[in-house]
Amino acid sequence: MSSPNKSALPTHILDEIRELPARYPQPRSAVMPALDLAQEELGHLTPEAMSEVAEALSLDPGYVEGVATFYSLFHHQPIGKHRFYVCTNLSCMLRGANEVVDHLKQAIGVERSDQVSSDGLFSFEEVECLGACEYAPMMRLDHRYFYDLNDQKVDALVAERRGKPVVTAEKPKPKRVPRKKPGG
Amino acid sequence: MAELRGSHGDQAHHILTSLFGTPDLHTLSVYESKGGYTALRKALLDMAPADITNEVKTSGLRGRGGAGFATGTKWSFINRDAPGPKYVVVNADESEPGTAKDRYILENCPHMVVEGILIAAYAVGANQAWVYIRGEYDEPSRMLQAAIEEARAKGYVGPKPFGKDFPLDIRLYRGHGAYICGEETALLESLEGKRAQPRSRPPFPAVKGAWGRPTLLNNVETLATVPAIINRGGAEYAKLGTAKNPGTRLLTVSGNVRKPGVYEVEIGKTFRHVIMELAGGPPEGRVVKVFWPGGSSAPVLPGSMLDMTTDAEALAAAKSMGGSGGVIVMDDSHCIVKAAHRLLQFYAHESCGKCTPCRIGQDWAVRTYERILANEGSQVELDILQRVSDGLQNGRCLCGLGDSGGWVIDSTLRHFREEYEDHALRHECRVGTVAPPALRATSPQVGRT
Repeated sequence: MSSPNKSALPTHILDEIRELPARYPQPRSAVMPALDLAQEELGHLTPEAMSEVAEALSLDPGYVEGVATFYSLFHHQPIGKHRFYVCTNLSCMLRGANEVVDHLKQAIGVERSDQVSSDGLFSFEEVECLGACEYAPMMRLDHRYFYDLNDQKVDALVAERRGKPVVTAEKPKPKRVPRKKPGG
Repeated sequence: MAELRGSHGDQAHHILTSLFGTPDLHTLSVYESKGGYTALRKALLDMAPADITNEVKTSGLRGRGGAGFATGTKWSFINRDAPGPKYVVVNADESEPGTAKDRYILENCPHMVVEGILIAAYAVGANQAWVYIRGEYDEPSRMLQAAIEEARAKGYVGPKPFGKDFPLDIRLYRGHGAYICGEETALLESLEGKRAQPRSRPPFPAVKGAWGRPTLLNNVETLATVPAIINRGGAEYAKLGTAKNPGTRLLTVSGNVRKPGVYEVEIGKTFRHVIMELAGGPPEGRVVKVFWPGGSSAPVLPGSMLDMTTDAEALAAAKSMGGSGGVIVMDDSHCIVKAAHRLLQFYAHESCGKCTPCRIGQDWAVRTYERILANEGSQVELDILQRVSDGLQNGRCLCGLGDSGGWVIDSTLRHFREEYEDHALRHECRVGTVAPPALRATSPQVGRT
């Protein structure tokens, strides 16, 4: 346990947060970018971190928590080092997203979105449409989109992040280039 | 970038996408070598702001975000001479299920968006533009930011673009995961650092928008179309499309088609052309059972109505809408009740909680669908769905999110009553290939906590 005097956020992050309000027409707009910095540092937003953000921005802690709990990209519990955000909305569901989720759960050994794999590496969440429906089923992972998902692709992504070589019977596909001919 | 799926290359009706596919089009030098930023130069040096707005009015361009409001008219609502700051706010919070066209534009040609923003800002007298971009769009954000920096280095963004004494600046603001931010007043609340709950109107954003100042809000695709209108002239643009809906628009075709993609289509073409020809139709041996013509919020049309046109007036006559241009296609191997259930989970999860009919109604519908899909349904459940659907619609909520959930229930019930009765009354499903979605691993919150 940390001592009561020790702050949740390091000084340089708090300094950065204090500089944010000047960038906006009104200081309150800094609350989301500030929470972003805090979450990037800690992985998720603890009550202490939200209080420190509030103090740095001269806002009410309850207000900051109110904002932080509204938006689904802010996490309030520990998440894995790599979090799989798998779209299961209609366009992806029609192309097998539920099966992708089932396979992913097995591959990382996690059943629910509020759990983290025992090695701390992985967690997942089913999310709403991510706006890449022509590549369904798809997901977001480590600030990137991954397309045309299937069991093999999920296995490869997990294995890469475990640092183990990817075992696959298929030979690697040649890199695809955009079609030259007009398509539509 | 991933393989391009959708329209690109020079074709008679390609206005937005004719340059897509050009190597390194996202860089300023390539964009300029293809005629980029000539519209901005023309607007700043050869046109009065009112002329620009009139040109957009003449083009007949209607907003491509979903509501379809006349763009030039919207621009004219801003009092250019009012003292104090004014803003252009760009809605890049694309989150309507089945819609990916703004991402397609941003990843292919971010400078086209930058140019459109700068023209709009000059026309309405705003020196500062803010792009509200959804937080999940990491790559589009990076590309747009890089484009802005390139334009800044050239002086197009800065104190004197093309020597004109009119400072222009563009900044990004990242969203953090909330569908409701696509609604313009919720977006403004979010930009101001608040929970994104829609405002009641009036006052409209043109009078009191971002940070209480006059604000023009436009969608990415709408603004990306502006350079072409300035270059060609509004009258030339209006030759394409239909009388009330001129021009072209990007339709995202997804779901059970062989060639999903983002296709630029002259407005007025039929969905048969879009789904069967451009997107290759359903997989071998399947038929189109149902399609959502304009995102998940647009009331469904059965496969028998493929000859419906993409024109907003025709869609309205069929009790649907062109919406965001997200065409979701479902074939006959999928169950309409399960699809509707999944969409109601979405609306329940995304309800901001401000209006009671939406906060309570969407969740009530989800629970009713769950009973039906667990074979515990009866006539009572069908009646509840109809009542909840009515309660969500017709202006009972501040924004369209309530209506949208209601339309999913209402339109699927209207066109597929028998399948609902199979499930609720006879406890059977005539198609059963989709894994039961009744229990999602992430159980949706009830609205926003």
